Amino acid sequence: MAKQLRIALAGNANVGKSVIFNQLTGLNQIVGNWPGKTVERAEGTLHFKGHTIRIIDLPGIYSLSTFSMEEIVSRDYIAVEKPDIIINVVDASTLERNLYFTLQLLELEAPIIIDLNQVDFAAKKGVRIDVEKLSKTLGVPVNPTVAITGSGINELLSTVIAVMSGKRKLKPLKVKYGKEIEKRVQAIEKLVSAKLPQLCTVYPARWISIKLLERDTDVAGKLKNYESGKEVLDYAEKLAGELETIHGEPSPVIIASEKYGFATEIAKAVTIIEAPPKISLEQKLDALTTHKILGYPILVAVLASMFALIFAGGNLVSTGLDYVFGIFTTYTENILSSLLPEIAVSLIIKGILSGIIAGITIALPYIVPFYILLALLEDSGYLPRAAFLMDNLMHKIGLHGKAFIPLILGYGCSVPACIGCRIMETERERFLAAFVVVLIPCAARTVVILGLVGRFVGLQAALALYAFDLILVFILGRIAFKVLPGEPVGLIMEMPSYKKPSLRNITLKTWSRTRDFVFIAFPIIIAGSVVIEALSLSGLMNYVVEAASPLTSGWLGLPPAAGIPLIFGVLRKELTLILLSELIPLRTLSNIQMIVFTLVTMIYIPCLATIAACIREFGWKKAAAITVIDIALALFLGGIAYRLLSLVTST
Amino acid sequence: MRFRNRRTSERGNPRSNGEVISLTSLFEGERGVLTNAFGGFGLVRRLAEMGLTPGVEIKLVRKCPFRGPLQIEVRGSMLALGYGVASKVFVKPLKAESNG
Repeated sequence: MAKQLRIALAGNANVGKSVIFNQLTGLNQIVGNWPGKTVERAEGTLHFKGHTIRIIDLPGIYSLSTFSMEEIVSRDYIAVEKPDIIINVVDASTLERNLYFTLQLLELEAPIIIDLNQVDFAAKKGVRIDVEKLSKTLGVPVNPTVAITGSGINELLSTVIAVMSGKRKLKPLKVKYGKEIEKRVQAIEKLVSAKLPQLCTVYPARWISIKLLERDTDVAGKLKNYESGKEVLDYAEKLAGELETIHGEPSPVIIASEKYGFATEIAKAVTIIEAPPKISLEQKLDALTTHKILGYPILVAVLASMFALIFAGGNLVSTGLDYVFGIFTTYTENILSSLLPEIAVSLIIKGILSGIIAGITIALPYIVPFYILLALLEDSGYLPRAAFLMDNLMHKIGLHGKAFIPLILGYGCSVPACIGCRIMETERERFLAAFVVVLIPCAARTVVILGLVGRFVGLQAALALYAFDLILVFILGRIAFKVLPGEPVGLIMEMPSYKKPSLRNITLKTWSRTRDFVFIAFPIIIAGSVVIEALSLSGLMNYVVEAASPLTSGWLGLPPAAGIPLIFGVLRKELTLILLSELIPLRTLSNIQMIVFTLVTMIYIPCLATIAACIREFGWKKAAAITVIDIALALFLGGIAYRLLSLVTST
Repeated sequence: MRFRNRRTSERGNPRSNGEVISLTSLFEGERGVLTNAFGGFGLVRRLAEMGLTPGVEIKLVRKCPFRGPLQIEVRGSMLALGYGVASKVFVKPLKAESNG
């Protein structure tokens, strides 16, 4: 029997869920977005003993409420799409917190099996979990695994098949609350099943009732589509109010409290402490890297060595690639010019081919190594520590520590940085983070800063530009924070233990992210490249340059021809430097002109690929807002810098 | 200035009579039992979902200077809380003996 099974992986963040997913699917995975949502959707297929299994990796979440889009996406998928089985990945070393989520899955009456992951790590902590007992308590199979090594994965799949074929029956535990809550849940449930039979075919009546008692806005919204919805809602609200009067706490807190109590009880019953907890290497590392003083130099050292490695290595590879592509381009050009008219050759070579080359020479030397190191920092658990250390500073621009992660990404490439803003909790925070992040000089802009100002004016001037950029980010972030409506969200983040990263997982992560980058960036770079080449072939470019000359030479004090590289820079920022050197001998530029040119390049719109990423994440309007603000700002600051610097040097 | 003020106010906090204090006033390594969290519905709910419910025992692992974030141990795992969030969480400090 070759039946296709649909399985979903669900669980908290940091439990090794993505490692399990990678172990199961390997390269057979597609990473995309949930329809209409900026939540990553990873899907893959695998074949096991004649079965084809489709696996969806749900986002890592702590609860099935409606705090974030991830939570809504997950619970709708589980309830509406009804996968055949849900593998609930549970971290054996933080069982209590994880079981809280498991209990919610059980309430949703989802067919689950438990993957008790990181049992090795729990053992290190001196803790063993009684698998049999846990399985008996929850009424579902529990399968221990060590995802990093892949141990237990086959057994996990066998369990899935056994459940599917009916060999193993699920007798899931029913979560019962204390009398006060239980009474009210049942009362609402009665009304829900009577009045909303249609809704009950999608969601379990009891689950709806619990959520209504918790004042869940999403479920309340669903009720509004029904005639008798209001009646049920009013009733539930009345009961929630009663509960709150008795306990003096908001109803979701009362219910969460009981559920956690239940999770604690189960966790205590199945946890066997084998050895007294001793201070492990991981804990020592944690103490050192989050130390209130030592933590900062360590953070700086980690980041500095990361970027030194990327830029030193990247420069080498990039030079090599340029050489190879140079030969390749001349060769292709020679062949093509004997076959096609000149215009077509130009379009193909300077448009399509140079677009592809542009993409490759930035992706391969800079983006790939960056992703590798990022995956290393992520999988080891260092990033949350960095976020912790930077929380205070990030609050100054209305964000919290987590925003430090996309900010760091920004120094590599703005595209993943924009996508990385997803880790922020609300739409407002995401946009605010993205606004700030695109102003961070990416690898391509660094090439210009170092290659022009660093080389000709001096390293100090280049560093001053970086410093200026950071101040600018800070000021603009602060303004945006004040202007944008909404309340800032504070930091609440789990700090997972340090773990040894796995090579396989890092490779797979790097691969899927690079592929994602290629899909977003390449079409845009190539299309843009063709359009600009067409403009310059048709002579329209001259008009553009002429029209822009009051701005370029009048306002910015640059040679008029400098307008061309600035326009081309939309494709990729380091092109500005290459083109500039082709058009004007760099040495003829004054120091001020170099600084102004670099400043404008650094600030004006991030490249087309970044705009594409912004559109994907935030929609047209916000992407356009970012673009317009950045261009205006770059021109404004460029002109001011030109005047100020001229004034300073003349006196 | 602000830093010094905070220290004196901490010293002035009597811990023996089970007074309820903000999580930010706990000392590093000290434990407390959560009494309640103030703040918006969303925040209180989110804290509860992360395990910060009334009655739970919290250990303050680390706090950063200048109103920086706090690292706490709760329900067997580590959480980072921003200062603003932590100042809305109230605890009753436990005596050092109960550290176990």
